[in-house]
Amino acid sequence: MSSGRMVTSEKMRRIARVALRTVAVLYLCGLWLDAVGCSAPSRVLPNAVDYFMQVAALFPEVAGGAIDYRAEGWVCADARWQELDTRPYFPLDPDSKENRFQRALNFYREDTVVHRALDDYLVARHDAAVADDGIPRDKPIGGVRFIRVRIPIPPPGAPEKPFARSALDAVPRADKELLYRTPHARIVERCGAGAAEPTEHE
Amino acid sequence: MTPRVFTRFAAWIDAPQPALRLELVRVFAPLAVLGFMSGRLVHAGEWLGQAGFRVPDMGGDPRQPLFIPAIPTPAAWAVVTLMVVAGICTSMGVRARFSAFVFAMTLAFVSLSDRLAAFTVSKISPVIMLAVALGPAASRIGFDAWLRVRRGEPPGPYARPLGSIRFLQVFLPVFYCASGLAKMGGDWMVVPRVLYSHLHDSYQTPISFFLATHMPVWAWTPMQVTVLAFEALSPLWLGWRRTRTLGMLYGVGMHVMIGLMFGPVIWFALLMISLLVGCYLPDGWVARLDARLTGG
Repeated sequence: MSSGRMVTSEKMRRIARVALRTVAVLYLCGLWLDAVGCSAPSRVLPNAVDYFMQVAALFPEVAGGAIDYRAEGWVCADARWQELDTRPYFPLDPDSKENRFQRALNFYREDTVVHRALDDYLVARHDAAVADDGIPRDKPIGGVRFIRVRIPIPPPGAPEKPFARSALDAVPRADKELLYRTPHARIVERCGAGAAEPTEHE
Repeated sequence: MTPRVFTRFAAWIDAPQPALRLELVRVFAPLAVLGFMSGRLVHAGEWLGQAGFRVPDMGGDPRQPLFIPAIPTPAAWAVVTLMVVAGICTSMGVRARFSAFVFAMTLAFVSLSDRLAAFTVSKISPVIMLAVALGPAASRIGFDAWLRVRRGEPPGPYARPLGSIRFLQVFLPVFYCASGLAKMGGDWMVVPRVLYSHLHDSYQTPISFFLATHMPVWAWTPMQVTVLAFEALSPLWLGWRRTRTLGMLYGVGMHVMIGLMFGPVIWFALLMISLLVGCYLPDGWVARLDARLTGG
């Protein structure tokens, strides 16, 4: 290799090294700033880059209770709401809050677009009768309700049972919050004319 | 003043480091990442493909960093196969740098593709694997090193400038410090039972249930204080030579407890332990381990 080429390649290597070190420093600054609550990285960087820096703010707040998101389906034939087990349709990490259904409702708790997408997905999956979800496979559903369950933490020193998923009916009303309900018209459309439909209070 | 700081910083980065440090990260970090991914890999169709639920395109919503539509299910299986092969090859040192790069790319893709199944491990692992790919991975141990020796070439040097390890040595205290400051800005300074409050949900393990119900409640507060002191002051613990080993051991112990007490977080704990050990194992221990592994 000629000396000229060697000088050029050495120069390129030095530039690459400086560039890499600069990127590394910017990444570490972004990670730190994001965790301490500075919004500069998210204002400056594209979402997809900023996202990789949102990693360090882990468990900063006290837990007010164990949060669990649940679903019910409107059983057209029985004209009633019945708990729908979403885990067969969201099989990743089925029993923890890392489950995708849990995460979807946690991230988009007030977002109707995502609620409707979940609604369509769950109704289609149940009606395809591919899994046991707590509602008989031969009974189509016309809509869903999403409920946020907040199980209070027992006072320190009080007797406590291990965390377990209990039936939605067994959860006190005060611990449940309705997040979404399929619009009336959509239920009627899915169940067919003449089918009983939920009242506004159901 | 400023140029001198830069010169000293550059000299610190370029100071030789035992190559085995990078090898420890290369061997163990991919295994922790694959462990974390294992529950997702077996459901590739639901995770990345068209068989599962997808959040619709939210048009630039920050909660959805990049909208990637579901890919055909066979393509989803191809991606996870590539990820597993690249991860195992990285860990074994087979074409290690190339494998680590491919592994990093697949990790970045799945992390962006499904925000719902992405966590801290999903977001930091591409960066860690890129650091491995940019360093002399598998130069001391692993398949590539073995092949070199078989060809009659000498193994890579014991110590050399390792920008990758320097990056990870800074990454850890920055990460912990940022995490500690986030906790201080949250409830950790005002509520004495933050740690205790996180033991009662679906992350609960038999061990955390046992500790939550048998340990005196007041005992969680000193633990909370030590976690905060370690994290917020980690640049000191891990930066100062005299406290470094103690800091590393505390960090490993903390992650062992996290892994035992918060079920699915075990893979994050193992990943962080692999980084702590690779970056901060005392030089003498590294030298002895290197001699044992390379027969030197």
